[in-house]
Amino acid sequence: MLAWITRGLAKGRITTAYPREPERPADGFHGPVLVLEASDADRELEWCCPTAAITVDAHRRLSLDHGRCIQCGECVRAAPHRFVFAQRYETADRRREALVVGDTDRHAPSPGRPTLADQERALKRSIHVRHIDTGSDGSEEWEVQALWNPYYDIQRLGFFLTAAPRHADILLATGVVTPAMRSPLERTWAVMPEPKALVAVGTDACSGGLSAGDGETCSGIDAVLPVDVYVPGSPPSPIAILDGLLLAAGLRDERRDR
Amino acid sequence: MSLAEHRPELPEYLPGHLGAVPQPGPAGEIRLRVTPLGFARASQMLHRAGARFVTLLLAETPDRAIVGVFAMRGDLLVLTAPTPPEDTPTYTALGPWWPAARWTEQELADRHGVRPVGLVALPDLTTPDADTLDRSVAGLDVFSLPFGPVRSGVFEAIQFLIETGGEDVTRVRTRPFFKHRGLEQRAVGMTPAEAVHVAERIAGISSVAYALAFSQAVERALGVSVPTRAERWRAVHAELERMANHLDVIAKQAETTALSVGQARFQILKERVMRWRARLTGSRFGRGAVIPGGGRIGDGMSLRDLLTELDDFEGDLASDRRRFLRTASMTDRLIGTGRLPRALVEEYAAVGPVARGSGLSTDARHERPYGEYRRLGLQVVTDRNEDTMSRVLVRFGELSESLRILRQAIAHLDRNGTELATPIPLAAAGCAFGWAEAAQGELVIWVELRDGLISRLHVASPSLRNWALFDHAFPQDVLTDFAFIEHSFGLTPAGADR
Repeated sequence: MLAWITRGLAKGRITTAYPREPERPADGFHGPVLVLEASDADRELEWCCPTAAITVDAHRRLSLDHGRCIQCGECVRAAPHRFVFAQRYETADRRREALVVGDTDRHAPSPGRPTLADQERALKRSIHVRHIDTGSDGSEEWEVQALWNPYYDIQRLGFFLTAAPRHADILLATGVVTPAMRSPLERTWAVMPEPKALVAVGTDACSGGLSAGDGETCSGIDAVLPVDVYVPGSPPSPIAILDGLLLAAGLRDERRDR
Repeated sequence: MSLAEHRPELPEYLPGHLGAVPQPGPAGEIRLRVTPLGFARASQMLHRAGARFVTLLLAETPDRAIVGVFAMRGDLLVLTAPTPPEDTPTYTALGPWWPAARWTEQELADRHGVRPVGLVALPDLTTPDADTLDRSVAGLDVFSLPFGPVRSGVFEAIQFLIETGGEDVTRVRTRPFFKHRGLEQRAVGMTPAEAVHVAERIAGISSVAYALAFSQAVERALGVSVPTRAERWRAVHAELERMANHLDVIAKQAETTALSVGQARFQILKERVMRWRARLTGSRFGRGAVIPGGGRIGDGMSLRDLLTELDDFEGDLASDRRRFLRTASMTDRLIGTGRLPRALVEEYAAVGPVARGSGLSTDARHERPYGEYRRLGLQVVTDRNEDTMSRVLVRFGELSESLRILRQAIAHLDRNGTELATPIPLAAAGCAFGWAEAAQGELVIWVELRDGLISRLHVASPSLRNWALFDHAFPQDVLTDFAFIEHSFGLTPAGADR
């Protein structure tokens, strides 16, 4: 056992300073897709997207919905002057409509639900997180688990994993919501005490992604329950999920730079 | 050399009275036609001759047929029983005498309207409901503990009904399919280039293996040959994925014994691999690196950098491995736990590290070498002790083997060609199986193409096939062994449920 302790100490500190200091991915990372040029677009651009995330309206204005985007890169390869992978990890937002980028008729921004910190100040440094898989591809679970590894060590920020939904403040939901997982999702959410926040992790959880159905099945978490924070990505990186957790907890200012 | 290459005469190991007619098909597949009435009898003869069950499916091309897939002496035997389009496809069920076929057979009945005569159906197997539990237990003073689909910790959704008197586990019943997303159906009508995104998302932690098996099925169906350089890159991505998966399993074993530093050390090693993959491909899961016809490369990391990182990594892995295997509190929980006798593993047709931990040398890279593995000599790692420790040792062995393969593939990558993909012909038709060895085991994908679009996709995932065996992995084990045994299987519900 002593061997392990010396081993752990000998390797020094590797934990990120995020969010105190920003963390940028290495070159070539496939972050969220940005729209560089939104005007004068052809209708055909919509066809390259397998999840219908790209829309060209009657005025030939182009928009892209991060909530549907699976970062497959088809659009980046088809029209590199219009689309580019952003060199950043963060993707989270509290409002579904804010995930749409490009030239779009912005509705008056809805305020979103109050964050945990707005509702209960005492929650700031001890937040218990529960996870539920409602039909993911399995990669989101790896990225959520990674938050507890020494690189990200989310416990330093006061986030703890709990096994019981009755002790949880935040529910991290991954997956499209298959018919079989709908009732377990509703029951898990119902037994959590107020105040509580629901975070949809991954494009599948935001919209159903590639398996999106027509009705309520496989169409994402918000077809079943109101979502507090959306973290799109296929899958979102650990930093993106951490960013979403901070946003839900009210520990991060909302970005204005979209 | 594979006997399949000497078609049309049948391999001599096939039973003499099989009564099957050889059909044309791509190399590596032996397609045999039987009558619907003779299907079960031929399957039974193959079973007796030692064939391993792979999957059952309803094919539409070249003709509508019940198709049974078996592996024997490294060849893929494809037993086809044509069925007229207007009839309900019917055959005599295999499940009553071949447990490996049961779940697949019921899926075929529930999802595709096939009628296996004599099917012993499990109630709501394919449409599970977390609230309806079978409360019958086998024995006195035994209770049933439903575990899942919402698990403690961060795990994928699956349910286990664990029967126990408090300590001994008397019976386990796995309920899969909570995550069934209908992805095979979703791919229908897509071009191969679009459908590979679906394949990558069937099991996200094995995206490369799924993209690889799918792409190879398309390439075999259409007779496309892949540039050597792309094959080498595919092997690099596939081995990195295997390493990440094996390190994940080992970290979870350490977590289960509360060996925190050990857990952290293996998590660090896994995270390093994930970061290399992000630099090589843009995606931490290697998505987009394998496409039908070839592959794509990113520019975030040079091969020289990767080699330097591998050297550093190998030293760290060796010392962490040494500590892991010397920590008695760790190894005591693994040795003798979850014993899987070789005969049972064969009966359930298990694959991957689960099979190799019980002495079987089942490995798609070795049995039916594809891509770069035709040129690399693969050392199949096996262990004969049949327990959880064996499965962990197999994974440690495969980590070293992956490092060796990586170095070899990278050395060859330095000096040839720039071509990375062969174009896939448009509006082409064909059908074929493709396979790859995922970290969970042998993955087989059936693809039918019509007018250049996918008209059928069938996935025989290693996770689903191995899970049938999981119910029998508790011969003398107690409730606290459950997590060790589950992690030692290293399966993914997403892959099983599709």
